[in-house]
Amino acid sequence: MAGYVSRGFRRRRRADDDDAGRLPPGQYAEPGFPVLSAGPTPRVDLAEWRLRVEGLVARPREWTWEEVQALPRSTFEGDIHCVTKWSKLGTSFAGVSVDVLLDQTEPLPEATHVIAFCYGGYTTNLPLEDVRDGKAWVVWEHEGGPLPPEHGGPARLLVPHLYFWKSAKWLAGLRLIDHDQPGFWESLGYHNRGDPWREERYWGD
Amino acid sequence: MGRLSWRLARVAEIKPETPRVASLALDVPSWDGHQAGQHVDLRLTAEDGYQAERSYSIASAPDGQRVELTVERLDDGEVSPYLAGEVRQGDQLELRGPIGLYFVWQPGLGGPLLLVAGGSGVVPLMAMLRHRAASGSRVQTRLLYSSRTLEDVIYREELERLAVAGDGLTVTHTLTRAQPPGWQGYNRRIDAAMLKEVGWPPDERPLAYVCGPTRLVEAVADDLVALGHDPFRVKTERFGPTGVQ
Amino acid sequence: MDEADLRMDGNHVAGMLAEVFQFDMTVEWSGCAACGDRHQLGALQAYGHGMGAVLSCPSCGQTLLRVARGGGRWWLDLRGMAWLQLDEGARLPE
Repeated sequence: MAGYVSRGFRRRRRADDDDAGRLPPGQYAEPGFPVLSAGPTPRVDLAEWRLRVEGLVARPREWTWEEVQALPRSTFEGDIHCVTKWSKLGTSFAGVSVDVLLDQTEPLPEATHVIAFCYGGYTTNLPLEDVRDGKAWVVWEHEGGPLPPEHGGPARLLVPHLYFWKSAKWLAGLRLIDHDQPGFWESLGYHNRGDPWREERYWGD
Repeated sequence: MGRLSWRLARVAEIKPETPRVASLALDVPSWDGHQAGQHVDLRLTAEDGYQAERSYSIASAPDGQRVELTVERLDDGEVSPYLAGEVRQGDQLELRGPIGLYFVWQPGLGGPLLLVAGGSGVVPLMAMLRHRAASGSRVQTRLLYSSRTLEDVIYREELERLAVAGDGLTVTHTLTRAQPPGWQGYNRRIDAAMLKEVGWPPDERPLAYVCGPTRLVEAVADDLVALGHDPFRVKTERFGPTGVQ
Repeated sequence: MDEADLRMDGNHVAGMLAEVFQFDMTVEWSGCAACGDRHQLGALQAYGHGMGAVLSCPSCGQTLLRVARGGGRWWLDLRGMAWLQLDEGARLPE
């Protein structure tokens, strides 16, 4: 979609030279944190908030806000990549590793995929292996402060090695299943896995 | 090539309106005209290939030779500081349009007209007022226009001139943040009481056009319906959180 | 920022819909599959950004239309509409 280059137009702030190696193909460095939403920001009362892991697990369970805060704390520092072409380099989130949640719920051998489901109805699908072994978190802090509602607070999924639409905002739980089931954007043309380094933006990529 | 394909428009003239707002008069090749209230999409491409698209309401009346856009510069904006700050006469911009037949008025639709604007939401309504004046229409029209301060009122002198022309237009301002000494007008956000005082009673069956920040547009539309106006005669165009498309 | 702030309306996606439909879709009517009410697409509430847009019924809030665009393709989910009317008068000129 090449366009006419308008004299003097540039992004608000440009990337540094050393960003180049960290950017997946087709991405631009963005110092801000754009808010992209497909619907209204859900309002969730922390007293009612629950995080569930269910489906093909031996011990499905649910955590309250207090219970999830008491789990071993884990932080991520690194880069996130949005399919709309912005990448935020060198950001940080804190919460709990999905590995902790899976250790407590014991996925069954036939579980191959995960549906992340959310307050407000958003869903996204992922291969189970993409949320294990240190690759995914449930986070409620961003850059040292509480995750704001417009960015998914109280808590969101964080899967930074995939495009950021997989890091589902307003997370309510993970459901383990034995097949791949397209979520909200995946059922509307987006890629089922979404690896930014292979530019897996749309199905068929 | 359809009208909705991208084409290059040339900036013919830049006119400051307020400290943060400028109008751009564009020469658009093969422009077939537009209806008052429609908008265009602009697409800007940087040298590194980065692209940004934004929509801007057309400010000029349909009879003009040029297509005029009015842009409010947002401090943290990406496109508006370029359009209302960097752009120079002779620059070219990719443009697509006109589009948006829902939010249009022309004299054949009649009235009476209630136009409600918040900030830069006045732009498409100004196209309607300019069209109304140029076509000699005497449709009874009331503009209720909310701005932060008097300095932020876009098209202020032109609105004064149109309002004293004696052809059935009244313009009412409300200044929500600061008022000049001696200000006798409204000094608060638009609410149902103000709409009832300034607007038409429902049995006149006015056509209402509401444009500006999302929150203002939704509150005003809800108030008008609660006052008894026909929801299908209340047209809305939301400009999003900051009041700019 | 509250939930209203990012809400737009069908006017916001007029250009994208025009790419697909070759009609000015803001003025076209649709019937909601959930509540049956009729609205012009310009009147629909919309959330949208670079990934795509979701247009919902101003009467009942149900999603009427989801649209995404990328890689030279568009995807449309019209399940929320009982019907969509296209009017010759809104056809975009050649």
